[in-house]
Amino acid sequence: MLEISRPPAMSAETIKPCASQSRRLCIPCARLLLLALLALLVILLSGCSNNPYPPGQTARPILYRALGDDPRTLDPSVSYTITEANIVDLIYPTYFRYHYLKRDPFVLELALGAEQPKREPYLYTETENGRKVQKRGEIWTFRIKKGLRFQDDPCFPGGKGREITAADILYSFRRMADPTVPCPVVNYFSDKILGMDAYIAHNLALSKQGKKADYQMPVEGLQLDPHDPYTFRIALNQPYPQLRYLMAMHFTTPQAHEAVEKYGKELARHPVGSGPFMLTEYVPKSRIVLEANPNRFAEFYPTEGMPGDAEAGLLQDAGQPLPRVEKIIYSTIKEGVTAWNLFLQGYLDSSGVSQENFQQVVSRAGQLSPEMKRRGVRMHRDVSANIGYLIFNMEDPVVGGYTPQKRKLRQAISTAVNSQEFIDLFSQGLGKPAEFLLPPGIFGYDPSYKNPYRQYNLDRAKQLLAEAGYPNGIDSKTGDRLTLYYDNAAVTPAGRQQVGLLTKQIEALGIHLESRVSRPNIWQDKVDHGQFQFVQYGWIADYPDAENFLLLLYGPNRRPGPNASNYNNPEYNRLFEQMRSMEDTPARLALIKRMRDIAAEDCPLIYLSHDESLVLTQPWLKNVKPHPVANDSGKYVGVDGPLRARLQAQWNRPNYWPAIGLVLFLVIGSIPAANLVRQRTNRSVRRNREARR
Amino acid sequence: MLRYIIRRVLYAVPILFGVTLLTFILFYMTATPDQVARRNLSAKNPTQQQLNEWKAEHGYDKPLWQQFTKHTRELFLLQFGRSDTNDEPIWNRIRAGAGPSFMLMSLVFVTALITSISFALFVAYFRGTYVDYWGTFLCVLLMSIVYMVYIMAGQFILGKLLKYFPLAGFRGGLTAWKFLLLPMIVGVISGLGGSVRLYRTFILDEINQDYVRTARAKGVSERAILFKHVLKNAAIPILTSTVAAIPGLILGSLLLESFFGIPGLGSLLVDAINSQDFAVIRAEVFLGTLLTIIGYILTDIGYAMVDPRVRLE
Repeated sequence: MLEISRPPAMSAETIKPCASQSRRLCIPCARLLLLALLALLVILLSGCSNNPYPPGQTARPILYRALGDDPRTLDPSVSYTITEANIVDLIYPTYFRYHYLKRDPFVLELALGAEQPKREPYLYTETENGRKVQKRGEIWTFRIKKGLRFQDDPCFPGGKGREITAADILYSFRRMADPTVPCPVVNYFSDKILGMDAYIAHNLALSKQGKKADYQMPVEGLQLDPHDPYTFRIALNQPYPQLRYLMAMHFTTPQAHEAVEKYGKELARHPVGSGPFMLTEYVPKSRIVLEANPNRFAEFYPTEGMPGDAEAGLLQDAGQPLPRVEKIIYSTIKEGVTAWNLFLQGYLDSSGVSQENFQQVVSRAGQLSPEMKRRGVRMHRDVSANIGYLIFNMEDPVVGGYTPQKRKLRQAISTAVNSQEFIDLFSQGLGKPAEFLLPPGIFGYDPSYKNPYRQYNLDRAKQLLAEAGYPNGIDSKTGDRLTLYYDNAAVTPAGRQQVGLLTKQIEALGIHLESRVSRPNIWQDKVDHGQFQFVQYGWIADYPDAENFLLLLYGPNRRPGPNASNYNNPEYNRLFEQMRSMEDTPARLALIKRMRDIAAEDCPLIYLSHDESLVLTQPWLKNVKPHPVANDSGKYVGVDGPLRARLQAQWNRPNYWPAIGLVLFLVIGSIPAANLVRQRTNRSVRRNREARR
Repeated sequence: MLRYIIRRVLYAVPILFGVTLLTFILFYMTATPDQVARRNLSAKNPTQQQLNEWKAEHGYDKPLWQQFTKHTRELFLLQFGRSDTNDEPIWNRIRAGAGPSFMLMSLVFVTALITSISFALFVAYFRGTYVDYWGTFLCVLLMSIVYMVYIMAGQFILGKLLKYFPLAGFRGGLTAWKFLLLPMIVGVISGLGGSVRLYRTFILDEINQDYVRTARAKGVSERAILFKHVLKNAAIPILTSTVAAIPGLILGSLLLESFFGIPGLGSLLVDAINSQDFAVIRAEVFLGTLLTIIGYILTDIGYAMVDPRVRLE
């Protein structure tokens, strides 16, 4: 068309021959190019699929999980978060493990251990005021299974994992005492294992001289059996039954000194363990791949569970070897909405339920929504062993102290705080109002117990406030309204709403509550230095024993320790010391109840709630039963790969018609415009011709 | 030109020093070494001894001036050290992240440039017709939409509804294109409105020049005028507005990478700020400044190469 409209008067000089030639070629070339582009588009679209995994992979027994971010470390002596533990506990096994199905009480069973440890009295000598005093402690004798091996790794001679001995477990204890290894739970061991404190101090002194930690120094509490390489002993300065729980934490896993020496800090990204899985790929910010470890020790799916487990299909794999999948792929997906959409497409095997997708997942009756039921999704309730609570600073001149008036002030505020309202508004009704520190499932938890100052009752709260000397929130001595300061780090909209609700509830008493917002690190500083009146805190169990919660009010654990309120009641402290070394007996239960009642009357904390969360799993996942404490579920969960591949294909058929429609619309829509331009060009050509004439 | 480049490189030294000093001061205004140590230790209640050990290991126990001189010397030697959070060598992280970031951002950059110029030429070609009016309207509409909406809509329509592309993820090698297409489309469309309007203005400015009228009077076709003459001259301002984007090719895009699971460098700085990882913050800020300076020097050089009227003295 343009050829026709070109003015015949155009001279050869105006447009170079090559240019005019190229323009003649240009149109077929452009068409060819357009065709090539279209062909490329068709090829791309035909090869397109929204499956993020290699073709055929999802039909295999592989578990696909999501991570919000990279784990900070996979070093078993350092890692502490649940995200990290979900990976670390599959790579590094321990002497004990938690029974996968049994709860209430939690049951420990042997993993690396060959037999239950023997506990015997142990006499040791301590120097007190320059005099040697003999004291009575306890010694535990452990024996691990023979033939256990580390995974194959280049750190071992020939790349073959060597046999594990008792020395490898004690090596983990020694790493805790190394100043370059920031072990978060070293305090659980250092004040109980004989000689551990001195060993830590020795290594610290070496570190100050620029020397490496001493891994050879004899420590009285860490003993190897000279006659049996599989036996070791741990000597304690006091009876400490909770040691068995610590022997189920990854801090006490056998570690290969060869790996630590070869990889150093890189151990955080290059774990060398002996568990059911080993890490084979780690792409930061993208994915972590665990594959079944060929050197793993024999483990089997439990053959018995709780009532109802068999009916729920949780015993179908009873007695089968572990792990139930050959690989676990963790994809790093930062955004919750992306992870949720991947779950809906079937590309993630499980998902949590957030405030954003709650309406889509749960019906009004608290059941799965019809849409989720149609997809075959299953919902599991995950009851965590934790507690959220508000803390009074017991050294504050207004809310602290142990006089009857101060107690009544705290009791009044506690009675005015309605946990259920928080749970309903901010946790979609998930969670249990807390009456005391102990969550369900922990020995000492009493479902029938009602804390007298945690039953929401505004009239009673006002009465208590009046008895405290603040009728209707007015100080009877000065006539001023009582003002409390609530230090918080609520920077998100949801956080601010929670502060708003707390303010509303407390101000219903006539008290003025002023919120002081700080950045998290400043807030933590204020808590550590006692520069607060009233803050909110939370605690997750390290192990399922009452001691791990009751320590939150034990006087010697004062700030910056876990007792942030600085509560210090000699009677409570005495009972705690007595209780912590006892087995779970009726006598221990009686002590716990007395401690509970003392804490209720003193009211240093306002117990808010024990969290619950929902976990959704795809129809092809088997053996799912969330455990509140253990983090090794990855080895028990099974996958029906063919079913997954079939459903994924069914749910993810691409629809090309909208794309084709859009292209056609653009092409057809441009035709009139092309005509307009042609007409405009022709008009201008005509005008030129007429002008020349 | 060489003298000019040398002078610009020398100017860069005080700028880099100033940025390093400012980063150092700002960081210490927001956090004390104890707070940094506490943030990076995983214990629930770390003891003062643990805090001191951490500070000693990471060099935060030294006087501030010693810390500053050490950090500055290392930065200028491009020795970034290890992350405060996870002890990973920072260069490893940059090397691992720069590839995916560069793949994604260069794809977005090149495609956006070609698409924007093509659309701008298209709209200019059809100037005065309904294509021009609707095109301008569409551009304003595209400019008015928030970036996040593009991401959400792109994932929802192209990933979830039509199921053309994976919603998130990344694989290296030949399969990378599959994961890069969706973020690329989102990245291109989100910037299209502004670019097309800007480039259309550049092109229309040129179309009204005398040389275009002369070419038209000589009978050169509209298409040849547009592609052979106007585009070349319009390239000068286009170049200025695009070369400055070069640092972003390596430093990546925070939102695109976060939502599409691309393991690039886009979120490195934000993650480091959130976790108070000063080692990564100072390295990333230094690198960002360095690349920006290089980007602007390249802009000037490109300017001189494209426009013979410009001389770098």
